[in-house]
Amino acid sequence: MADKSSDLVQGTLDMLILKTLALEPMHGYGVAVRIEQISRGVFRVNAGSLFVAFQRLKRAGLIRSEWRATENNRRAKYYVLMEQGRKKLSSETREWERQVAAIARILEAS
Amino acid sequence: MSLLRTIAGGLRSLFRKEQAGRELDEELRGFLEAATEEKMKQGMSRDEAARAVRLERGGLDATREMVRDAGWETLVENLWQDLRFGVRTLRKSPGFTAVAVLMLALGIGATTAIFSIVEGVLLRPLPFPDPDRLVILGDVLEGSHCASCADSSVTAPDIRNYMRDTQSFSHLGGYRGRLFELSGTGDPAAVNATRMSGEVFAALGVPPLLGRTFTQHEDEEQQQVAVLSYGMWRSRFHGDANVLGSKILLYRKPYTVIGVMPRDFEFPLNPGHVNQSELWLPLSLRPEEFTAGSAASWNSRMVGRLKPGITAEQAQSDAERVARETMRDYPAYMRSLRIHAVVTPLQEDTVEQARPLVRTLLFAVIVVLLIACANLAGLLLVRAIRRRREIAVRLALGARAATLLRLAIVESMVLSIAGGAIGLALAALAVRVGVSLLPETLPRVNEIGLDWPVMLFALGLALLTGFLCGLAPAFAAIRTNVNESLKEGGRAGTSGSGHGRLRSALVVAEIAVALTLLTASGLLLRSFQRMRDVKLGFRPDNTLAALYVLPQQRYRTQSAIDEFLKALLNDLGQLPGVDAVGITSFLPAAGNNWSIPFTIEGYVSPKGAELNMAAMSLVESDPFEALCIRVLRGRVFAESDNANSQLVAIVNRKMAERYWPGQDPIGKRLRRGLPETSTPWMTVVGEVDDVKLGSRDAETMPQVYQPVTQTLASEGVFASVGELSATDGWIVLRSRMAPEQMEDTLRATVRKIDPQLPLYQMQTMEHAISKSEAPRRFNTVLISSFAIAAVLLSVLGIYAVIAFSVALREQEMAVRMALGCQRSGVILLILSSGARLAAVGCGLGLLGAVAASRLLRSFLFEVSPFDPGVLALSAIAMLLLAMAASALPARRASSTDLMLALRGE
Repeated sequence: MADKSSDLVQGTLDMLILKTLALEPMHGYGVAVRIEQISRGVFRVNAGSLFVAFQRLKRAGLIRSEWRATENNRRAKYYVLMEQGRKKLSSETREWERQVAAIARILEAS
Repeated sequence: MSLLRTIAGGLRSLFRKEQAGRELDEELRGFLEAATEEKMKQGMSRDEAARAVRLERGGLDATREMVRDAGWETLVENLWQDLRFGVRTLRKSPGFTAVAVLMLALGIGATTAIFSIVEGVLLRPLPFPDPDRLVILGDVLEGSHCASCADSSVTAPDIRNYMRDTQSFSHLGGYRGRLFELSGTGDPAAVNATRMSGEVFAALGVPPLLGRTFTQHEDEEQQQVAVLSYGMWRSRFHGDANVLGSKILLYRKPYTVIGVMPRDFEFPLNPGHVNQSELWLPLSLRPEEFTAGSAASWNSRMVGRLKPGITAEQAQSDAERVARETMRDYPAYMRSLRIHAVVTPLQEDTVEQARPLVRTLLFAVIVVLLIACANLAGLLLVRAIRRRREIAVRLALGARAATLLRLAIVESMVLSIAGGAIGLALAALAVRVGVSLLPETLPRVNEIGLDWPVMLFALGLALLTGFLCGLAPAFAAIRTNVNESLKEGGRAGTSGSGHGRLRSALVVAEIAVALTLLTASGLLLRSFQRMRDVKLGFRPDNTLAALYVLPQQRYRTQSAIDEFLKALLNDLGQLPGVDAVGITSFLPAAGNNWSIPFTIEGYVSPKGAELNMAAMSLVESDPFEALCIRVLRGRVFAESDNANSQLVAIVNRKMAERYWPGQDPIGKRLRRGLPETSTPWMTVVGEVDDVKLGSRDAETMPQVYQPVTQTLASEGVFASVGELSATDGWIVLRSRMAPEQMEDTLRATVRKIDPQLPLYQMQTMEHAISKSEAPRRFNTVLISSFAIAAVLLSVLGIYAVIAFSVALREQEMAVRMALGCQRSGVILLILSSGARLAAVGCGLGLLGAVAASRLLRSFLFEVSPFDPGVLALSAIAMLLLAMAASALPARRASSTDLMLALRGE
C-alpha cells in the first residue's frame, strides 16, 4: 500500500492538518491533496487516518466543520480552523522546531 | 473543556447515530469520488481508478469503521450490544439462568446482610462529632480478675481527681448506669438511666433536640434535672414539646425535665438494644460516695475529649500521674491496691467485644460466597464447553479474542448483577428480621441497616463476582482450538481437555472451604453440647424470679425495709402451692459478676498472686431451697443469724477447695476486704454446690453467701453512715404450679404491701437460663446454617461437574461396555473420580480448618479447635456427601443404552 502516513511521527498529522487549514477552510480531499503536494509526495494520507484526525480535532475544539459547495458545485464538508486551533498550531510549531533543532544537534555531534 | 466537548460530541453521535452516519458516509463518498476523478484525469477507466483509490486510500466501509471506532461512544454501543446479546442467550437457557442467579442472590444477599452488621457495628464512625478524639479513661486494678474488669472503670474519688487534676482533656466526666423507678407519668416503671457529669454532654458535643442539657455547675449543685431520650419522649410524653419544665418522679423524688436528645443520640453505647439509657441525670456525687466501701467500688466509667494536639498516650501518662497521687491518698484499708490509668479510644472500647463474632460471621459468609462463585464459574465453564463449536465458528469467521472475552464477561456480569439485585432484596428482608435476633453483645444494634455504603458494597460485590466468575469461561473460550473443534464435528468429544482440570480445581476448592466451615460448625455444636452438659448447680424448673428496688424516699429506715421484707416473705410463704421462698442479692444465670476481695484466716497468698476475689450474695430466708442448691456440708442460715448474733457465711465448693483444700471448711473464718482492712471475722457454717451465676460456659467464681441482716456489721469500716441493707433483691419463688401462673399472684402480693412498688424483670429461671445461653446459641445456629448452605452448594458443584463429565464420556463408557467392561466397573470408575476430588478437597479443607482455628478459638467451650472427633466426622460426612453426589451420574452412566450411545455418532 502506498500509505506512507504511518511513517509520520505520532501527532504530526494533526499539526499538518492544522497548518493546511491555516491557509483557508478546506474539505477532506483538499487537505489530503495539499499535504501530498506540499510534501512533494513524501506523505500520502489515507482516508481512515485523515477522518479520525478530523474527528479528534473537532472534539478538541480546534476546528469546526460546515457544509459548503465546492468549486465544481458539489456539496462537501469544509473544515475551518478556530482560534484555539491557531494557538495550538503556533505552540506545536515552536515545539516541533525546538525538537528538530535538538535532534539535528545530536546527529551533527556524533 | 475539551473533555466536555469530547463527551458532548460522543453523545451527539450516539443519539443521532443515523444522521452522524449519513453525514460521514456522504463526506467519505465525496472524498473517494474526488480521488477517483483525479485518477481518471490521469487516464484510467472508472473501474481502474476506483480500485486504485481503494488500494491507496482505503475502502469506504473500512474507513467508516475506523472513524467510528476512534470515538468512545463505540465502546458504549458495543457494550450495549453485548449486553443485549448476553441477555438473549441467557433467556434461551432459563434453567441455567435461574440456578445461577439464585445461587448468586443467596451468596450476595447473605454477604450483604452480614456486611451491613459489620458496617453498622465496626466500621461506621461513632455518632458524635470528631469521634476519634473521644476516649475512655479508667483504672486497671492490679491483681483483680473478673469479667467486668475488662472494661476499665473508676471509683467516685477517681472521677473527682481525674476531672480536677488532668490537663489533657478539653472535657472529661464520669458516668454510671442505674435502674430507676419512674412514676408521676403513667404507670410506674423501671427505666434505664445514666447518671453523668455535666462535662460528658460537653465532651460528646451533641446538641439537644429540645431545651438544653445540664452543665457541670448544675451537676455539682445537685440540681434535680433530667434530659430525656427521644424514645422516652415519644412513648411517655407523646412527643409533646411542652414537656420542658414538667416534673417526673424518680424513686419518688421530683426531677425537672430540661431537654430532649435527638433520635440517634445513644450514650453509653451499650451492647444490645434493650439496655439503652432512656434518661440522663446529673451524677451529683454525694459525700458518702467518697467514703468507706463506695470509695473502693469501681462502678463508674469516664469519657473525655482529648485537647487538640494531645495523643491518647500523652493523656494516659498525664492520667497515670493523677492515679499515683490518688493511690498516695488511699485510706489504710486500701493501701495494698495498685491501679494504672488506661486511656482507650471510645470506638475501640465500644466494638472490642463484638469484634470476634463479627469477624467470624464475615469469614463464614465469605466462604459461602466463594463457593457460590466457584459453582457459577463451574457452570459457566460447562456452558462454554457446550458452546465450543459456536465459539469456534465465531473465531473462524474472524471474531477477535478480545470480543469473545468481553462477551463472556458481560454475560457473567448480567447474571451477577441480576443476582446482586435479588440478593439486595433478600438482604433487606434478612436485616429487618435479623436485627431483633442479634445477640445483645453487639453494640449499636439500632444503627444496622441497608444504607448507601452497604448498597455500594453489594453492587461492587456483584460486579466483582461477575467479573471473576466470567474469567474462567472467558479464557476457556479464547483458548478454543478452532481446527480441532470444527474437525470433531458434532461429537461432544471426550473429557480430555484442559478445562477439565480447571473444573476439578474449582470443585476441590469448594469442598475444601465447605469442609472448613463444616468443621467450624461442628466444633460450635460440640461446644454448645458441652455447655448444656455443665451443671448449673441449681434447679431452674418451677421457679419464678423478680427484682424489687425499694425507693429511699419511702423506705428511709432499716426497720421500714425489714418490715416490708418480713411481710413479703410471710405472705408469699402462705400462698397455696408455694414450696419455698428466698431473697438473694444476685440471681444465678442473670450474669452477675460483682465480686469483692476477701481475707481468709491462716491463708497466705503466694507472692504476686491475684487478690482473693469472690462473688458475694446477700440472702434472706431460704433461697437455697427455692433454687434447690445442694448443701454439701453444715447448715443454711437460720432466723437466729441476725444483726446481733455471730457473723456467719456459707461458701461454695470452689471457694472451699481453693482456700481449705482437703479440709472441712466449717468453722473456718474469713472477712471482707484486704488484710489491712479492719473488718470483723465471719465464721463459715455451710458449704454449698457451685452455682453458675452467669452463663453456663462462664467460669465458676468462688462464692460467699451472707445473711443480708449481717451486711452492715460485716462491712466494718466500709459501712457508710446511714447505709441501709436489703434495699433491693431478687425474690425467688418455687411452686408446684407452672411458674408463669404465679406471676400475677406474686405481683398482687407485692401490691398488697406497697401499691406503688413495681417488680422488675420478672422471669422464670428457665427463661433466665435460656437468655444466658442466647449468644452461644446464636453463634452456633448462624455458623451452622452457613455451613449447611456451604455444604449444599459444594455438593451441587461436585454433582454438576461429575454429571457433566459423565455426559461427555457417554460414548467412551458405551465403548468400554461394548468391549466387555462390567456395569459395576463403570460405576467404580466414576465414583473413584468423584472420590479423588473429594479426598483432595477434604485434605485441603482440614488444613483450612486448622488455619481458621485461631479465629474460632474464642467461641469454643471445652473443645479443642483440633478436636479429632469433630475433624474426622466432618471430613467423613463431606466425603460421603461427595460420593453420593457422584453416585447419581455414575448410575446413569452404567445404564447407558449401548446401541443408542454408539449410534449417536
